[in-house]
Amino acid sequence: MELRVDKKRLTFAAVIAGAVLTTVGFVLAFLVAPPVLADTTLASGGGAMIGGELIANPVLFSQKIFYFHVPVAITSFIIFFFTALYGLRFLMTKDKAFDTKARIATEVTLVFVVLTMITGDLWTRFEWGKWWVWEPRLTTYFIMMMLVIVYFVLRASIEDEERRAVYAAAFGILAFLDAPLSFLITRLVPSGNHPVVFKVGGGLDAIQVTTSVVALLGMLCLGYAIYQMRFREERAKERIEALKASLED
Amino acid sequence: MDPVLKEIYSLVVPAAPYVIAAYAVLWVGLFGYIAVVLGRLGRIERELHVVEEAVARKGVTAGS
Amino acid sequence: MPDAAAAARRVSSWRQFKAILRKDIVMELRTKEMLTSMSLYALLTLVVYQIALSQSGSGFDIRLIAAGLVWLAFVFTSMLGLNRSLVHEKDQGCLEALLLSPVDRPVIFFAKSIGNLIFLLIVEIITVPIFAVAFMSGRPIAGPFWMIVLSGLVGSIGIAGVGTFLATMAVNARGGSFILSVLFIPLMYPALLAAVAGTSAAVLGGPGYVDMFWRSVGMGAGIDAIMLLAVYGLYEFIVSA
Repeated sequence: MELRVDKKRLTFAAVIAGAVLTTVGFVLAFLVAPPVLADTTLASGGGAMIGGELIANPVLFSQKIFYFHVPVAITSFIIFFFTALYGLRFLMTKDKAFDTKARIATEVTLVFVVLTMITGDLWTRFEWGKWWVWEPRLTTYFIMMMLVIVYFVLRASIEDEERRAVYAAAFGILAFLDAPLSFLITRLVPSGNHPVVFKVGGGLDAIQVTTSVVALLGMLCLGYAIYQMRFREERAKERIEALKASLED
Repeated sequence: MDPVLKEIYSLVVPAAPYVIAAYAVLWVGLFGYIAVVLGRLGRIERELHVVEEAVARKGVTAGS
Repeated sequence: MPDAAAAARRVSSWRQFKAILRKDIVMELRTKEMLTSMSLYALLTLVVYQIALSQSGSGFDIRLIAAGLVWLAFVFTSMLGLNRSLVHEKDQGCLEALLLSPVDRPVIFFAKSIGNLIFLLIVEIITVPIFAVAFMSGRPIAGPFWMIVLSGLVGSIGIAGVGTFLATMAVNARGGSFILSVLFIPLMYPALLAAVAGTSAAVLGGPGYVDMFWRSVGMGAGIDAIMLLAVYGLYEFIVSA
């Protein structure tokens, strides 16, 4: 009981910390972090003089998306790791709680993956003028989103509870392995018509890194909080079912 | 129009809708989801409370 | 003494493997059900390609997409075959019987995978010449023929191994073949991309294509190794659940 109260407090603290940190990250991104200068655009003639400084990249504002886009993407991948981890632990222990945990981790992954896709795509639309480009990162995320959705399709199609848990665990592990492989293969097998893989400038300075880290910590807190809340909800549901069953006896 | 301002606006304004949309989607998405989950959680924990009481009552009547 | 026991066990594993594989092949030779349906399906896919390409004109260089088209045909054909091979096992209660018998689970996995690989390769051997005659006339492939064979082999091993695993899951799920395809395609994405890149390099040629070929095939082999290892480790859980 003591532990549960602590978890509750921790979750609450994580929501607050997440809100504060993402807000601080937001403020830092827009008010403090200097623009990332890409020297590639200088060669093509783009550039502007602002405040007596030659600013190479003419589209400075759109890069502000990255201060939230990258942390969300990293968070989604970290949570996806827990899908595989809990899946593995379920297979080793056959403890139903791990199955629930893996399922919820996948659900939170889906939320973060979708947010990654949307924010990334808005940047793509502005910077490249297209809603969709089969660029390594985009492709990888698309495949990862499909895998996460398919995870739920698989679960929905199996009635037997134990079998569903085992299959979902196995698929979760495979899917987690698959995501980095997709990234590797899309990077290392260029097909000639891929656009140049974008990079955030040549090196980031301290304040830019700080901003990203603050936003990342905020996103991780939010991810943890959502996960904990969803887990408590599932536990409460299970408890209600058990109690109702005992009432009917 | 002041050329400096024009230059500055040309750098910021075209990207603004996309940047604003990205942040809006993110925040609304995350905190909206948290709000929905919190609401559901509250309802379910209330329900759990009711069911627990019912079980306790039943236990008392069965015991007496 | 323990050595002898271990040796006996190894031999018996090998025998079990051969027995399961022989069972699949004998059954197939008797009914010819899977091979005919898979080959027919592959041929019909080619017909669909003809429809799709019918307006492309004579100037269109099919070689640009030939590797992709061929692999597409293999993907859909293999899904059909994989689903069938496991549905058979389940319908006739063969899988349960195998599980009751003291056969090692990995042996079952390898025997089924190799069986599926053999059938897939046979269909490929039938399909590729027909594709070449029907679509590639007058447009010779640039690389040596063994490159096509090698990239085909690397891709097919991945398809057969991971596919057998996923088909075992799919037969126990509602809507088996649908589930197989939605599990199979995203999970096989990296392996298929590597296979298409390798085959495409061999078909298209161009500067540095040998390098490109080896990089793709090497990555494809690496992906196969990782996925097969994972699938091999997980098969025991799947099959006994």
